[in-house]
Amino acid sequence: MNHLPQAWGRPRDDVYGAYDSSYLQSHGPNQHTQQPIVTGTSVIALKFQDGVVIAADNLASYGSLARFTDVKRLRKFAGTSVVGFGGDVSDMQYLDRLLNSLDIEEAYSSSGHSLNAKNLHTYLSKVFYKRRSDFNPLWNQVLVVGLDDDKKPFLASADLLGTTFSAPSLATGFGAHLAQPLLRKVAPDEETASKLSKEQALAAVKESMKVLFYRDARSLDKYSIAIITADGIDLKEDEKLENQSWAFADQIRGYGTQVN
Amino acid sequence: MTSIGTGYDLTNSVFSPDGRNFQVEYAVKAVENGGTSIGIRCKDGVVLAVEKVISSKLLKPGANKRIATIDRHMGAVSSGLVPDGRHFVSRARDEASSWRKVYKTPITTADLASRMGGYLQAYTLYSSVRPFGITAIVGGWDSELELPVDGQVGSGPSIGAGGKVEGKKYGGPGLYMIEPSGLYWGYYGAATGKGRQTAKAELEKLDLAAGKLSLEDGVKEAARIIYVAHADNKDKEFELEMTWISNLDGPTKGRHEEVPKEILEEAERLAKKALEGDDDEEETKEDDKPAEEDKMEE
Amino acid sequence: MAAMFSQNPLMNGPNYSFNQTPTTAAGDNKEHSFYPYTDNGGSTLAISGVDFTIIAGDTRSTSGYNINTRYAPKVFKIGGTTSSQEDATLVLSVVGFAADGEALKERLDAIVKMYRYQHGKPMSVKACAQRLSTILYGKRFFPYYVTAILGGLDEEGKGAIYSYDPVGSYEREQCRAAGAAASLIMPFLDNQVNFKNQYMPGSGVGHALQEREKIPLPRSEVEDLVKDAFDSAVERHIEVGDGLQMMIITKDGIEEIYKPLKRD
Repeated sequence: MNHLPQAWGRPRDDVYGAYDSSYLQSHGPNQHTQQPIVTGTSVIALKFQDGVVIAADNLASYGSLARFTDVKRLRKFAGTSVVGFGGDVSDMQYLDRLLNSLDIEEAYSSSGHSLNAKNLHTYLSKVFYKRRSDFNPLWNQVLVVGLDDDKKPFLASADLLGTTFSAPSLATGFGAHLAQPLLRKVAPDEETASKLSKEQALAAVKESMKVLFYRDARSLDKYSIAIITADGIDLKEDEKLENQSWAFADQIRGYGTQVN
Repeated sequence: MTSIGTGYDLTNSVFSPDGRNFQVEYAVKAVENGGTSIGIRCKDGVVLAVEKVISSKLLKPGANKRIATIDRHMGAVSSGLVPDGRHFVSRARDEASSWRKVYKTPITTADLASRMGGYLQAYTLYSSVRPFGITAIVGGWDSELELPVDGQVGSGPSIGAGGKVEGKKYGGPGLYMIEPSGLYWGYYGAATGKGRQTAKAELEKLDLAAGKLSLEDGVKEAARIIYVAHADNKDKEFELEMTWISNLDGPTKGRHEEVPKEILEEAERLAKKALEGDDDEEETKEDDKPAEEDKMEE
Repeated sequence: MAAMFSQNPLMNGPNYSFNQTPTTAAGDNKEHSFYPYTDNGGSTLAISGVDFTIIAGDTRSTSGYNINTRYAPKVFKIGGTTSSQEDATLVLSVVGFAADGEALKERLDAIVKMYRYQHGKPMSVKACAQRLSTILYGKRFFPYYVTAILGGLDEEGKGAIYSYDPVGSYEREQCRAAGAAASLIMPFLDNQVNFKNQYMPGSGVGHALQEREKIPLPRSEVEDLVKDAFDSAVERHIEVGDGLQMMIITKDGIEEIYKPLKRD
């Protein structure tokens, strides 16, 4: 038995081999994020006549393991905007705290104006771009929704590389393949989106969430959904998918147990 | 003053033979010349108010705020040297944000007062610095709900280990006053600056310890007390500045905000009316200087 | 690149239920798997005339086979004194990695603005062109992954175009196509703007051939050329489409024209 204090509580060297302390080493090159670990899947959003609808499911996956099933990926900001996060959950938490401190600093001056979704998106995209330029990326793709300077609906995306774009409907991750075509059918351009009713937008987003649950293996039937208008944010974080129909499933051939 | 000519008052951090630090006492003098600041701890929130002395007609009314936000749920006001007050606020904001960085939760009013008390006390220890020429009043509302940590993504278990405890009480109002020596106490009602004696007398009448005064009434009382205390500073014009922090169900939802214009004006109207009502009483009050203050000047 | 998305345990990630053994042996030094660039597709085009310059770009933004959005401008006014850039005199187009393009545009815009405030006059295209080269070369070892084209009017009022590679090599040209469909558009421009391979009818064969006389094109004709070039590129290149944004710089200012392109 080794009585030296530095060995206390350690696995025995004679049984388990020398302790591998390589990950503790503080010298050598800086270690930066090379891959996401616990991840959230798609975020989808759609503009309508007086606001934006955004949704994301409540799952955080560890690879193929459905690790956390109660994860809120839509984060409110300053009572004016919502950010929907896809990608690494710890980076999401870091960004959430960063935005929180930004909001607190904004409140130091009592000028009364607060940051809108457009300001927030600009800020976030510069954080992402700075971090990718330092080769230390924040592994997310986010959708920022709210209102712009003219109080018009605002929806834009930013990702780990600092790439930004805006459109009447957006979807991250798997949603870019599955949900975006459905949403584009409802709102092919800004003109059409600006005439959509809240109900139409809500229905399209809920339908897309359902399709995503059918086909995305890293998804969940519990989700969060928010409607952002000039009146404020209506965020629901504990929704269940409704009216699922798996009738299509027995038509599927080609993998799993039904090879042909 | 006994300090004059002895030399014990010429440098900071040096005791006089009878155990006093004169530099700190001189700092207190700076405070006593400043516009009156008060804070009231109500049952459902905290009010901060200051008598902002107008030093020039060229200053824009309503500009140059004297009450500052330290964190979402906390504000501070001070009497004395305004730049020292600004630095106090700057340090308090740094403390609040570093607390959040470490603990992922807002700093409590008590903890902030402790940090700032320690900070001010350090300025009594070295010959290279001077004490703060302010007494600050810090007011805050610590959330009455069990707060999620900043950035928390889930709700955690609803029962059992790590779960919610039914009926447990959290948070509430906090009010602290921090003096140039670094001394800080928690108060039901706090007052500092030129009109502090009058203000303290008025605060005592409110029976704040009973915890019955509502925030709404607190705002009116605060305005009235600033107006009454202004009698000690009558030759100068002033502006009333007020902020408040309510509980989560109240008007500010736990945030430190300016008292809205309509409510402030209504409180000022009532204050002026109350003052007209007992104008004669105030005259007598001004003369009887309390004993406590005299002792200090010996 | 496969490692970028791999979460295999042998590559320090969580485990999958199916087999995804890495082909590189464990224990080897692992290259970092974060690649800081992406290609957002699209094309740009610039043609200069006697007293005007046209810079155009499509508005599609892509990642892989996905369309990010149908409207993401690649052509920007530079160095105006207001947020609307209404008094700008220069135009920059960037195509390649959009985030770098945005960063480059913002940096150049800030520099040209500062020049204008300090000198009390707008920057000349020539000066701005040299400055842009310096900026790009400044990141020679971590380049802005973009092909830039800068346009304006030179000191004599003639149309001027400067084209760049990602690390700052530049040249003044009559016309230039850049981006995804550059190889489709550029030969068309050689033929239609610089009359390459066009000869006088009946002038003979071989060395006797006489080239068609080079004449500067009028604005209306150039606008049509631009539209034709993009319509053709859209037909053959999947990353080009949705909308055509044109900036026309004349002595009277910068005119912006938007025309729809095919969205397929």
